[in-house]
Amino acid sequence: MNTEATNNNKLISNITIVDDLTNQSHQLYSNTTNINNLYSQTVDQFNYINARLKSTATQTDTISASAEGILSSLNELTASIEEISRNFDALSASVNETAAAVEESTKSIQNTANTAQEMTISATEVSNSMNEITASIKNISTEIDSVSTTTVETAAGIEELSKSIQSVSNSANELAVEAEQTTSSINEMAASIEEVTTATENLATQIEEIASSIEETSKSVQSVANNSEKIKEASSSSATAAQQLDRSIKSVATLCKQADEISRRSARDAEDGSLIIQKSINSISAVKASMEQSTAIVREMGKRTTEISGIVEAISLIAERTNLLSINASIEAARAGDAGRGFAVVAEEIRNLADRAAKATNDIATIINSLKEVATEAVNKSNDGLRIADESARYSEDGLAALKRIVSGVMETSSIVSQINKATEEQLLASQNVVTAVTNSLNLASQVSAATAEQANALQQISHSTLQMRKISQQVSVAMNEQSKAAKEIIKAAQNTTKLAKELSTATVEQASSAKQISSAADSARKSISIVTRALAEQSTATEQITTEVNRISQMISSLSKALTEHATATRQIFQATENIKRNSAKSAQIIKEQAHAAREIQNLNQKTVKNVSNINEEIKQLAHTAENGLGIIQQINSNISSISNIARQIFTHLETLKSNFITIKTRKRNQPGKTKPIEQKISPDNKV
Amino acid sequence: MPTNNIQQNSKILTEPYIVFQLGETTYSINCKFVQQLEMIEHITPVPNAPDFVDGVVMSRGQVIPVINLRVRFGLPKSQITLKSRLIVVKYQERTAGLLVDSCKEFINIPEDTVKPPPQLVSSVDNGFISGVTMLGEKPVFILDVAKTISELNNTNM
Repeated sequence: MNTEATNNNKLISNITIVDDLTNQSHQLYSNTTNINNLYSQTVDQFNYINARLKSTATQTDTISASAEGILSSLNELTASIEEISRNFDALSASVNETAAAVEESTKSIQNTANTAQEMTISATEVSNSMNEITASIKNISTEIDSVSTTTVETAAGIEELSKSIQSVSNSANELAVEAEQTTSSINEMAASIEEVTTATENLATQIEEIASSIEETSKSVQSVANNSEKIKEASSSSATAAQQLDRSIKSVATLCKQADEISRRSARDAEDGSLIIQKSINSISAVKASMEQSTAIVREMGKRTTEISGIVEAISLIAERTNLLSINASIEAARAGDAGRGFAVVAEEIRNLADRAAKATNDIATIINSLKEVATEAVNKSNDGLRIADESARYSEDGLAALKRIVSGVMETSSIVSQINKATEEQLLASQNVVTAVTNSLNLASQVSAATAEQANALQQISHSTLQMRKISQQVSVAMNEQSKAAKEIIKAAQNTTKLAKELSTATVEQASSAKQISSAADSARKSISIVTRALAEQSTATEQITTEVNRISQMISSLSKALTEHATATRQIFQATENIKRNSAKSAQIIKEQAHAAREIQNLNQKTVKNVSNINEEIKQLAHTAENGLGIIQQINSNISSISNIARQIFTHLETLKSNFITIKTRKRNQPGKTKPIEQKISPDNKV
Repeated sequence: MPTNNIQQNSKILTEPYIVFQLGETTYSINCKFVQQLEMIEHITPVPNAPDFVDGVVMSRGQVIPVINLRVRFGLPKSQITLKSRLIVVKYQERTAGLLVDSCKEFINIPEDTVKPPPQLVSSVDNGFISGVTMLGEKPVFILDVAKTISELNNTNM
């Protein structure tokens, strides 16, 4: 009876053990259900992360494309800025050429002005000597008039003499008186002939003076002609210089227009670049927000993983307890001997299942650890991505500021170029004026040259006529001398008449013939003198013409001087203008160099941004990959959990069977009282695993 | 977990043993001495106890002393984990709990495979080993429960 009680107790304890096992398996089942729920939540979150990462990847692609667009715009910008730079260099060169041409022009104009001054002085001298000549010629004219009058008087006297000689031959009585009259008339005639001689000597001296002054005039007119030739040469070189100036100014104007267009295009490009960078900045902010969301989600996932870790630990504990209980069950079964054989088998199977559960939970624990590592990596990558996005945002801001600086620089350049444009237009007008003035000067100089050449010819003619006049006056002198001699002889003869009345008729005949000679001599003298008078009159007219011509030339030279002065002023203005343009273009070149520098900086910044964006892309790709890995891992966990669920269900079924078996045994034992069975028996093993 | 693959012959006598680990070594105890297995929850320390006695625990209404087998065999102490087990043994009205690293197997060992322990080992282990057997490739020492527990008396527990 004791053994039965012990057996009953053992049975009860077995049932208690089975109850414990049942409870444990219930707990196991409910825990696995919890895990299932948590895991489906985690899967949902992973899917959400995946979607977010995909959208972030799309946005970084957009940023990449924008950055590429910016890069190409900046390349264009840099190219156009370089073009502008080159154009400005060309402009600088042109302006330098223009400045040099203007300097040359100024110098030649200065030379021309100096030469014109000299010419003016020479012309004034010529004018003065011509005036002197005119005055002396007038004197000669007056002298010759007086000579003419005197000669006419002489002729008249000689006629009277003839008449008186005739009356002498007619009346010898009146001879003495008439002889005295004749002598007084002859004395008068002698005196007047002396006067004529002196006058003609004076005339000869004056004509000599005229000849020498005309030679001087001829020389000075020659020098004027030479100077006017020089002026012509100088003016033609000025004309060439002015044309060069015109050409260079036109080229400067064209370059300015080109530079203006290019700088406007650069301003538009910079504005476009600005917009694109603004878009990039916005995209980067969106990426940042997206990454922060991803980080928050991953942290959530981390929390879930920790919860799962706790549950896995609980399951591990349950598996250990199950193992323990199964071993205890085996021990009790061994103690029960034969009756416990089936129980021992069941306990063995439960132990196997518990071991499998323990292994599965170990696997889950390992997987969860790797999952935690993955989550930490994801958080780190997100932080990296955030940092890179911040850097990119800063670079984009810098790029935006630099573009704004470029835009303002281009605006400045544009205004400077418009100023240059205006200045070159003014220059163009001024240079055209210069060209016209120089052409006028050239024409004037040619006219002056021609006029002075004519003058030279006229003066040469005058020289010739004065030579002739010299000859004529010499002839007149000779004639006068002969007259004087003849008159002296007449005096002698008349003086002899009073003494020798007898020789009167022969003497009077000789006197008559001498008087005729004198008459013809006086006639020829008169003719010569009238010739001389005509020649002098012609000379007078000629010198008056020359004087008028010289005055005209003087006026032309003074107008030429004025034109050259104006020319000089105009070229000085042009010089000033070109200096201004030089300064402005140097400033513009400086500004453009700074712009090129800024554009190069922006290019660098943009390249950095592009690199950063591709880094972000890489990080995101890795994140997505990691998330996919996490998803795979979670699916593995899921399958493990379902196997654990199955195991738990099997344990439950076994336990139910066991319980029913025990209850059957118990009832059987109650229904069979008195039957004692040897309990402590060595049992043969069942080889069921 | 494989058991010995022995033929189903009622003539071959086997005994059920439970197998436990202590460090790298595998030991076993005959089931007739074993009451049950427990997990360690809390050991109440007892002052003035010998060093291999960690304290006492409550088990099914009984107060059981806890013998740390690692200390008993001269191994360094180790932390109590989820796998640590308390083997409640009973010998001649004396009950004690053996604290081991893990206890997972329940096998039937045929009697003819049990050999006496090698001389060197028995002297080192103070005679706690009563025999040795093979479990696949592994040697398994068979613990002499009487000696393990009886030493308690000599040391005035």
